[in-house]
Formats: sequence, structure tokens, C-alpha cells
Amino acid sequence: MAQFIGILLVLLSFGIVATIFSSERMSKTVASAFSLLALVVVAAAFFYMLQTGSVNYTENYSYYITQPSISFGFQFSPISFVLVLMTSIVSFVTLLSGNMENENRKTSSMLILLFELAAIGLFTSGNLFLLFIFWDVGVISLFFMIYLLGSSNRRRAAVKFLIYELFASLALLFAIMLVYFYTPLHSFDIQYIISNAGLISLPVQALIFSSFFIAFLINMPVFPVHLWLPDAHTEASTQGSMLLSGILTKFGGYGMILTFFMMPIAAHLEVPIAILAGFSAIYSVFVLMTQHDIKRIIAYSTIVEMSIILVAIASFNQFGISGAAYGMLAHGLTIAMLFLAAGSIGHMFAERDIRNLRGVVRNALSTSYTFLAGVFATTGVPLTAAFVADALIFMGAIKTFSIYGAIPLAALLLLGAFLYYVVNKSMLSTREYSRNPRFISRSQKAGYAILLSSIFIFGVLPFLLLNFFSNI
Amino acid sequence: MMLALIVILPLIMAAFLALLFRNNGSIVKYTALAASIASLLLIIYLYLSIGSGPFSPQSFQWFSLGNISFNISIITAPINMFLLLLVGIMTPLIFLYSIGFMNMQSQQARFYFEMSIFAAAMMLLAISASLITMFIAWEMLGVTSYLLIGFWYWKEKPPAAARKAITIILIGDMLMLVGILLIGITYGTFEFSALFSAAPTPALDTALLLILLAAFTKSAQFPFHEWLPDAMEGPAPVSAFLHSSTMVKAGVFLIAVLLPLYISAGLLPVMLIFGLISAILGVSNALAERHIKKILAYSTIEDLGLMFVALGLGSLFGAMLLFFVQTFYKGLLFMGAGSLMRANNEREDIFTNYSSATNKLIFVPIVIGALSMAGIFPLSGVFGKSAIASVAEDTNILAYAVLVLLGLGSSIYIFRWLFIPMSKPFKDEKQIEVNYRITPKTMIAAAIVLAILVIIAPIFYAYPTLLTLGIFSGSSIPLNEMAEVSVIALVGLAIAYRIYRQGHALHVASANRPLYVAFYNSIIVNGLYLYLAKAVASAADAAGYLDLKLDKLTYSASSAMLSVGSALRKLVNGQTNVYVAAFVIGIVLLLALFIW
Repeated sequence: MAQFIGILLVLLSFGIVATIFSSERMSKTVASAFSLLALVVVAAAFFYMLQTGSVNYTENYSYYITQPSISFGFQFSPISFVLVLMTSIVSFVTLLSGNMENENRKTSSMLILLFELAAIGLFTSGNLFLLFIFWDVGVISLFFMIYLLGSSNRRRAAVKFLIYELFASLALLFAIMLVYFYTPLHSFDIQYIISNAGLISLPVQALIFSSFFIAFLINMPVFPVHLWLPDAHTEASTQGSMLLSGILTKFGGYGMILTFFMMPIAAHLEVPIAILAGFSAIYSVFVLMTQHDIKRIIAYSTIVEMSIILVAIASFNQFGISGAAYGMLAHGLTIAMLFLAAGSIGHMFAERDIRNLRGVVRNALSTSYTFLAGVFATTGVPLTAAFVADALIFMGAIKTFSIYGAIPLAALLLLGAFLYYVVNKSMLSTREYSRNPRFISRSQKAGYAILLSSIFIFGVLPFLLLNFFSNI
Repeated sequence: MMLALIVILPLIMAAFLALLFRNNGSIVKYTALAASIASLLLIIYLYLSIGSGPFSPQSFQWFSLGNISFNISIITAPINMFLLLLVGIMTPLIFLYSIGFMNMQSQQARFYFEMSIFAAAMMLLAISASLITMFIAWEMLGVTSYLLIGFWYWKEKPPAAARKAITIILIGDMLMLVGILLIGITYGTFEFSALFSAAPTPALDTALLLILLAAFTKSAQFPFHEWLPDAMEGPAPVSAFLHSSTMVKAGVFLIAVLLPLYISAGLLPVMLIFGLISAILGVSNALAERHIKKILAYSTIEDLGLMFVALGLGSLFGAMLLFFVQTFYKGLLFMGAGSLMRANNEREDIFTNYSSATNKLIFVPIVIGALSMAGIFPLSGVFGKSAIASVAEDTNILAYAVLVLLGLGSSIYIFRWLFIPMSKPFKDEKQIEVNYRITPKTMIAAAIVLAILVIIAPIFYAYPTLLTLGIFSGSSIPLNEMAEVSVIALVGLAIAYRIYRQGHALHVASANRPLYVAFYNSIIVNGLYLYLAKAVASAADAAGYLDLKLDKLTYSASSAMLSVGSALRKLVNGQTNVYVAAFVIGIVLLLALFIW
């Protein structure tokens, strides 16, 4: 059995060290090379899995703390594999093309590799202890991304982000501890918990579930604990935004799926959670309409999409869970592309306010059409990955909640309508205003191309991944 | 196995070539034309090789999950081949027209890219045999039409028009998606063929209603119709394509294919009522409108309304017949309008346009189109209108009365459209005459071919298997009905001649305000849309306000923490006497506790 996850983690660790020891000028190249290698390893794992036909496997390394028993174990499930795939693509593109200002190349490259390591570790960790460690590593590295590399008002936003995330982290730790003490064999192992958590008494289960739920709700983020996200995005650099929306929010989504699998009590809470998530989707799309900063608009669209994904998770059937996983894949790729385009617009025109931007397409052809493609991908036009995701998500939702499950589609409708408005107002319109446009680099075009083609590949050939979901 | 899919291949290839050679307009336009002709040849080949049935769909699995498989399914039954052939005939003609129309325009590669995808999507829709396949084509049509309507994004109006179109189309797409998924969940399949034999359930009725509403958005029926006149901001070839064979016909076609389900679900009255309302609105607005292309757009709303009326009366024959003949005359009229506007330096108002008879090759096809549209025997238009009228006369006399009035109205407005520009221009007459003479030959050629098609289309009546594969055989139109329709059209012609040709136009144009608004009610409908948009905007404002308050709340929570901290900090102020006092008080309290 190949040891893909171990190779990935070691490779990325070497990458971090190599980046630290490389010069400022070379650091971006070095880090991109290691990230590309990681992408190749993930692709190899993908081919291996296509051949064996199954994605489920575990890796265990002989590193044990016997008391309490913590193993150094990893696993691939279909969901975690999809997320690892997304993570490796988005991280690579972020490294390759996100830093158009060419500032702080070394710090940002190092932090991005660290974050990639944390994300891959988190999505594949076989026990909750490792999951918690990787969670905090990811959060801290992104905190530094914002704190060191953001725009002028970054510190406030970074601390706000950190406070929210640390609160989530504490709730997560509390839940993990409770799980450990209340499972019969005192284990952190996720598979063991999934099969044995039913033995925990209901009140304790409720406590554990709500603790997990709060932690992941903050991270996803969903109303009413979403407020860190727009601020963090406004202040973060392009790279920071891509990672925040593209990958970090998926920590919460992945954790939420795990929680639903682990805690049998979740089956009783489907309806209230779906109502909360549906409300969150519609609420945040309305808030989105009052925003003017293009990055803030995209940030709120993340809340809308993640709320819809929570609806899918709450429906908790095969369609809903697969749809949620596929939706996170589609959303991660799409939102990274949108943030890359928005960052490029901000860099080119020194302006991100849609009231002032006009006729962007004249100066930034590829950026404008990439943004438009991102809007198509957000609204779920067929042949983009989001269509498959939306179809599965709402099939799951309709299956569990009957026709009411389709209500969050209204949020998607309003989101699409407003994003088309943004496109027509700022990009495909007459030029009245543009300030010293700069040229767009080749690496950035490559970034657009990679993300766009991934969106279309997973949209045209969804069976590649969805075959793994047949026995979820 | 999926042989029929090959017909869209040339167009897809042309689209990719347009991307590759985006800096070379001449390569792109001829490739697109060649591809569309190749498509047409493939379609004709399919047509000739088609057997006599029974026709079964071919499908392959796209992806599957659980027990539900999402299939790409296609079928080449007569009704599908019929639409495929219509699109196949129209595409090269539109592309031919575009070569002339777009010759001085920039960004031709983008135009042909979007047009090729647009045509390919409609062809896919024509042969789709499952809801999933249909939805792919459906959304592709919506997205490309958005791009095409807003093609001239550097002008003032097209972006807004494109936005309006895509918003309404998005509503339809979402309704459609819900309907499709509801059917998928209930029956575990998306195939049309499986649905026809499925047992009806309440979920199916709901889904069918949602799909009907989606068809209304696409086919511009009340209350979703107002995007279509605005869509006139796109280039004339786009309008000609959109209104004749693609896009707006998708909704009617889908409902026609699913008609047996609608009959058993009892949703026909919905179609009848909304179709009639739309047709009335279309006619009344067309009578009052002054924009040369918008008049035709309202007339398309009327035509589509009539098709829904026919479907609502359960007459597939009437609906498909009008569908068939409308393709040619509406394409022809839009091409004519495009030529007129081009010669008149892009003026839009019929009162400032001048249609010269200098270039008879432009003028005569327009007249043929108008006569056909009004329904004068033996041009093809009369067949569609009389087929629907004869069904209505037999089944629903009220609808029949409305149809007669609509026939009169449509005859008046189309001749108004024809006559008003025929009066002499106030100025730059010479320039306009020259413009007419130098109209590109490709534009003229396309219009002439369509005019010939308008004239010869009635041969399907003599040879039912030709062109329409016999989907119309077995039904016939009473001759007296055709005579009635023609007479009504002639009456309309006489009225229009009296009012508009003999110079009484000014009296009518300056008619009093309430009457004008009653006819030109698109103001009201657009106001309604605007009101809805404002309602959404104020809801958004409220939510935005709430979000700010929520943010403030978290800040006040944190400042409350801070003030607790600073209050506690006062206790730790470094003054020994305070510490000693606290210590003593503590000891005393402790002692008191022990003693007590």
C-alpha cells in the first residue's frame, strides 16, 4: 500500500524548510515547486484510486503515545480525498499567481506551504487529536498571513479573526475531550467514535454535538457567527483571501460532516439546523447586496454557499453528503478564482469599489472573463463543477425536507442576479474610469487557466470523483 | 451510438477555432458559416436516414449516485428532428447575414464564438430525451443569450438589457432545477420516456407546474415577458436568431414534448390563460411601441402566446404549425429590421426610419414577411394562425373571439410597422438611399432565402412528410378558416393603410394619455419589476443594517469584557495599605465563617 499522505506531509515539511533557507527572490519558485510536487502526489494517488476503484484507506505510522492512546494515523475517505484534491490545486495556484505585488514573497510562501500542510493533515487525520493540532496550525498560519501581509487595517481584522477562530478552537477542544472521556475505550480514533458514539448517553451527546457544532459553525461560517469573514477578507492579501475562503472554510464543512457521522443525535436536529442554514443563506445574500467592495461581495458569497452546504449536510443522506463534499470542491476552486480576479482588479486599478470601477474588460480582458466564468460557476451553470454539486445538494435537501429543501435556491438566485449586476456594472460596461492600469503577469494567467480548467474538468467528468461516493 | 450528437460538433469546433483565431475576424466568420453548413448537411443526412419508428432514446450514463443515474439521452423522433431541422436551416442563414451585418464591427471572434455555442445548445435541446440533457442545453442557451444581448457592452443600454434578461432567465432556471430534482427524487429517473409511463403523483404535478413557469420565463410569457423587448439591444442577427428558432422557442418546445404529462396533470387551462394574456399584451404593446425591433419583439410575445394557447387547447398540431411558420417570417422580419436600421444609421424609432424601395431586394422580402405574419393566403403565416383558430372555434368560443381580435390587431401593427417608415424622410435622404444601395450582399441573400422559404413553406401541406416528417399529417385546416384569417388580415391592412399610409398617423400618435398607457402597458409591467427590485433592495438594506448591528453587538460584548477587566484591575493597584486592608477584611470574614 502506497503511503501517499505520509509522502505529502513530509514533502511539504521539506518545502517549508527549503523555503526558509532560500533567498527572497527564489522563495516563491521553491515553494511553488514543492506545492506542484504535492499536487503531483495527489494526482498519483487519484490515479491509484481510480485503478483500485476505492478511495478508502488508512495509513498508520509507528508513533504512539500509549497513555492516552494517540496514534499517528491518517485516512482517506471520499470526502477527505475530494478536499485534499481541492486543497492541493488551490494552494498551488495561490503560490503561483496570488502574489502579484511581489511583496514578502518568502514569508507568504512559507506560510502558504504551512497552511497547505495543515489543511491536508486535517482533512486526512484519522483521529481527533491530530485534527485539532492541524486545525490550530492552519488557523495560526492564516492569522499571520493576515497580520503580516494584509492591507492597512489588517491588524484589527487579524485579531478579530483570531478571536473567533480561537473560540472555535476551544469549543472543538472541549468537544474532543468530552468524546475522549465518554467513549468506552477512551479513544480519539474517528472510525472508533463513529461506530461507538451511540453508547454515549443522550445529554452528553447533545453537549458534545453542540460544542462541535459551534466550533464548525464559526469556521464555516454561518449566521450568526460569520462576522469575522468579511473583515478578514477585506484586509487580507489576495493570497490570504484565496486560502481563507477556498480552504479554511472547508475545515468547518469537513468537521460538520464528521460531526454528523460521529454523533447519532444529529439525526434529531436536522430540521432546526437546516432552518438556521437556510436563513443564513438568504440573510447573507441580502447583506451581500449592500456591499460595494468587490472582495467583500465575494466574501459574503462564501457565507451564502457554505450555508447552502450546511443545508446539504443537515439533510444527511447520500445525496446531501456527496453534494456537500462536491460543493466544497466546486466552491473552493471557484472562490479562489474569483478572489484571484478581484485581487488582480484591485492591483491593476488600485480600486475595488464597484461604484467606481467601469469597463474593466478594456484593460483586463482575461481577468474580466475569468470573473464572468466564476459567476457562471457560482450560479451552477451546467458543465461547471457547481452544477453537479447543486444538483446533488438540492436532491439531498428535497429528499429529506421535501420541497422546502429547495428554498435556499432563492439565495442562489439572488446571488447570481447580483453578481451579474456587478459584472455588468463594473466589467462589461463602458469605460469612464480607470487609473494607470498595470499589466497582468503570465503566472497569473496560468493561475486562471488552472482553476478554470479544474472547474470544467470536475464539471464535465464528475463521475471520476462521484464513483467513490457510491457507498457512503 | 450517440450519432445524433454529431450535429453539434462542427459548431463546437467553430467556437474553439474562434477562440484560437480571435484576432482574425475573417477566418472566424467563414469557419462559423462552414461549420453551420456542415451541421445542416449532417442534419439532412440524419433526416434522410431516419426510419419509421418506434423511436427510442439512446443514452449513456454521465454520472450516478445511489440508485439514480444522471444520463445524457438523446432521441431523434420526428418532433425532435423537426426542430433540429429548423435550427439547422436558420443557423447558416443567420451566420450569412451576420457576415454582412458585423463586417465593420469589432470583436467578431467573440460574436461567432457565442453564436456557435448558442446554436449548438439549441440543437442539443432539440434532440434531448432527458431532463438533465435538456437542462444543460437550457442553461447554455440562457448564458449565451445573456452574453449576446449584452454583446455591445460599451453602449449604454445593452448591459442593463442583458442583466434584465439573465435575472428573469435565472428565475426560470432555478424553478426548472427544483422541478427536475423533484422528479428525480420521486421517480428515480430523468428520462422523458420513463415519465410518460410513470404513475402520476402530487410531486409530479408540482414539478410540472414549476417547469411550466420556467418555460414561461424562457418563452417570454406573462408575467415574465418584459425581458424580450429589452433584448433588442443585441445585434440584429442575435434578435433574428433568438426570436425565430432558438431560445424563446425552447420553452414552447419543451412543453410540447411533455404535453401528454400536462394533459394528465390538468395544467392546460394555465397555459391557455397565460398564453391569451401574453398574446393580448404583445399585440397592445406592439400597437403603441415605436422602436422598430421592439414592435417585432412584442409580436414574438404574441406568437408565443398563441402557441401556448394552442397547447392549452390540447392541439399539438396548431402549436407546432405556428412554431414552424413563425420561424421563417420572424427571422425574415428581424433581418429586414436590421437592414433598415443599418441603412438609417442605427436609428431605432419607426418614425425616424425610412424604408426605401430603392433596393428592391431588401424591400420586397420585408413586405413578404409582413404579409405572411399578418396571415394573408397563401403565404405560410396563415396556416399557423388558422390552425389555432379552428381548434379554438371547436373547443373554446371565448378564446376564439379573442383570437379574432388579436388577428386584427396583429395585422394592424405589422402594417403600421411597414407603412410608417415608408413615408419620406425629413433629411439626409441621399445618404440613406446610398446606404440602401451598399447594404452587404450577404445580408440581402439571407433575407431572400428566408423570403423564399416563407413562400414555399406551405408545400408541407401537400407533402406532409417533407420538412416536417409527418408530424402534421392526419390533421387538416378547414379552408373557410384560412379565408377568415386572410379576410381579417386584409381588414387590418385596410385600417393600417387608412391610418398610417395616408398620413393620419399623427392623430393616433398624439392620442390621449390613458388610452396610450392602456395599450403601452409595458410601462406598468416594468414598473412592477422595478418595484420588486426595490423591495429586494430594501430587504437588503435591512439585512445590511442588521449585520452592522450584529457586528456592533460583538464589539460591545468585547468592550464589556474589557470594562470588567479594567474594573478588576483597580483592585491590583500596588498600594500596600489596600492589600493589607483587603487581607484583614478577608481574615475577619473567614473567621466569621468558621465561628458561625
